[in-house]
Amino acid sequence: MPSERRLHPASILFDSARHVRNFALPALVAMFSTSRSADVRIGPLEYGVAGMEVWLLVLLVPSILLSVARYLSFRLRYEDEELVVRSGLVFRNERHLPYARIQNLDAVQNVVHRLLGVVEVRVETGGGKEPEARLSVLPFAAFREMRHRVFAGRSRPDAEVDGGREAVDAGAVEARTLLHLPTRELLLFGFLENKGLVLVGAAYWVLSETGALNRMWEWLFAVNVDVRGLVREVLAAVFRGAPLPAGRLALAVAAVAGFLVVVRLISMAWAFVRLYDFRLTRAGDDLRVEFGLLTRVTATVPLWRVQTVTIHEGWLHRWLDRASVRVETAGGRAGAVTSDREWVAPLLRRAALPALIAGILPGVNTTVAEWQPVHARAFQRAIKPALAVVLIVSALAAIPLGTGAVAVLVPMLIWAVVGTRQYVAHLGWATTEDVVMFRSGWLGRRQTIARVNKIQAVATIESPLDRRASMARLRVDTAGAGGLSHRVDIPYLGTATARDLRDRLAVEAAQTMFRW
Amino acid sequence: MPDSDREQTIASDAEEGVTLERPLDPAYVHLQRVVRRLFALAVATISFAGLLVVLTAADEMPLVLTVALPAAWLGLIVLLLWHAERWPSIEYDHVRYRLDTQGIEIRRGVYWRRVINVPRSRVQHTDVSQGPLERRYGLGTLVIFTAGTDHARVDLPGLEHGHALRVRDQLRPEADTDAV
Repeated sequence: MPSERRLHPASILFDSARHVRNFALPALVAMFSTSRSADVRIGPLEYGVAGMEVWLLVLLVPSILLSVARYLSFRLRYEDEELVVRSGLVFRNERHLPYARIQNLDAVQNVVHRLLGVVEVRVETGGGKEPEARLSVLPFAAFREMRHRVFAGRSRPDAEVDGGREAVDAGAVEARTLLHLPTRELLLFGFLENKGLVLVGAAYWVLSETGALNRMWEWLFAVNVDVRGLVREVLAAVFRGAPLPAGRLALAVAAVAGFLVVVRLISMAWAFVRLYDFRLTRAGDDLRVEFGLLTRVTATVPLWRVQTVTIHEGWLHRWLDRASVRVETAGGRAGAVTSDREWVAPLLRRAALPALIAGILPGVNTTVAEWQPVHARAFQRAIKPALAVVLIVSALAAIPLGTGAVAVLVPMLIWAVVGTRQYVAHLGWATTEDVVMFRSGWLGRRQTIARVNKIQAVATIESPLDRRASMARLRVDTAGAGGLSHRVDIPYLGTATARDLRDRLAVEAAQTMFRW
Repeated sequence: MPDSDREQTIASDAEEGVTLERPLDPAYVHLQRVVRRLFALAVATISFAGLLVVLTAADEMPLVLTVALPAAWLGLIVLLLWHAERWPSIEYDHVRYRLDTQGIEIRRGVYWRRVINVPRSRVQHTDVSQGPLERRYGLGTLVIFTAGTDHARVDLPGLEHGHALRVRDQLRPEADTDAV
């Protein structure tokens, strides 16, 4: 019988630290919130420390005992075909994870992990929403060994099931870099992603909870800024010819502009720290993604798990000749917040797209001579609901504004007409013998590639408006398509076109086998 | 199951007309009427209780309201009952399903018309369920599970129970291939 292994002894440290964090953080927030309403002259820290110590004393002892018990009871061993994880002192649990079923082997290393040379490993088999095994923490060498064993143990006729075009010998694993992001691209990515607003929001919440915000606000704005007053003055200037408050307006515009710049800068810093040294490699049948400055993440996605590939191009992306690529994978993450590993290429030059796609979808034909447009009368069909929305909003605006609602109606009308026309003009779909593709979007464009052998179901939907225009919407269902993610969902097709495409895709899908 | 056997079952079902578009069992209309009547009854009871409370608790209610509220209640119940009588047969006319060697196609919807095609090779597993009312009418609901997102679960209610079991047997994935 193969020898059993334990986790790294540092596990006790991380485990109890996790417990402390789970209890201490809410306690901390609660204390700060109460201190805000309490006597202002006592600083939040002075007020809090006495309570903190008591909490820590009470919580630390059982959590450390628990962590030690968990460490002692946790065992790991490699069988020929599977990974066996034993855990539990009172309730014993033995979990068998066949190598062939392991879909992801993710490793996360934060700063402390790296100092101690250990790594937290998550093993997923695609069953539930949670990782099937969470090994916190292993020595880094053990993770290497595990990765080697798992992926060597997966040598089976994979390619035969999945198209059969590229028989990859799992024994000869040779990593090939598909994409590496230098610092400049990382900063650009941060600029384009604009994650800053989320971070600012989070910081705002923390500050307002702790009461630090009020003091900062008072310090920043010794003068009282009355936003509503400014808006009223500007409106008066527009409608009644009153003098424009130019000075205050300029100040407000400058403040907003400054804020936007700061937000973008924060986002760039975030991207640099989060995705530092981003590297996408292909080793045999697996895609491997590595990134992070402080917390280093290593994720492995087997190629056959890729369900759809989506290319994003915002208007800034196109102006800078860049695109980003995301993959949807099957398994637990459906509907959840997008996980890091789905970004296979945060940013790359558009010229490099075909090579990357060929790397992610080996042996799959994605080149099409021409894209098919949607129905010729799609604009007439699409403008109706848009006009209805415009009319309803204008009518509602007319209640407080009276005839001033025209100021709402006209720009909305122009936007509806121009936006719809452009949206319809940029819709397109295409098929090859291997894939069905759909693209949409005017300013921000997205294109999704779904492999025929990953199609789960094909549906057409005809709304009452569609039926009057003899059109239909074709929807291709795949595993792991998140709620808001772009997918093959083609509107405004002619009824006959939609029906033929549906039947054809269903038949083609039926003739292939699906693997998770 | 060997391929030849499978062809056999499908061929025998083809004689029954399974590869044609089929309607649901007519008993489903009766079942739906009963279900909807029960629903109308539940709504009537609860809203009547609410109505009584409002009418007795309010001190100075305008005469218009004391007449209008019960009238509105009555109107709602009549509408619900009328809907319970009419809708099931309309809905029934718009449901068709077709089973062939490739998979199953289900079309339904009166205003929004949906056609769902599930290839046989994508069927993860199937259920045939039967509630107490369905049992009384000898009906069953076929539930098809796929690995998809929108159509992770496709329901086909209103099949005769024995027939639902037969459809399920035909959709059962080949035993010799491991799909996951």
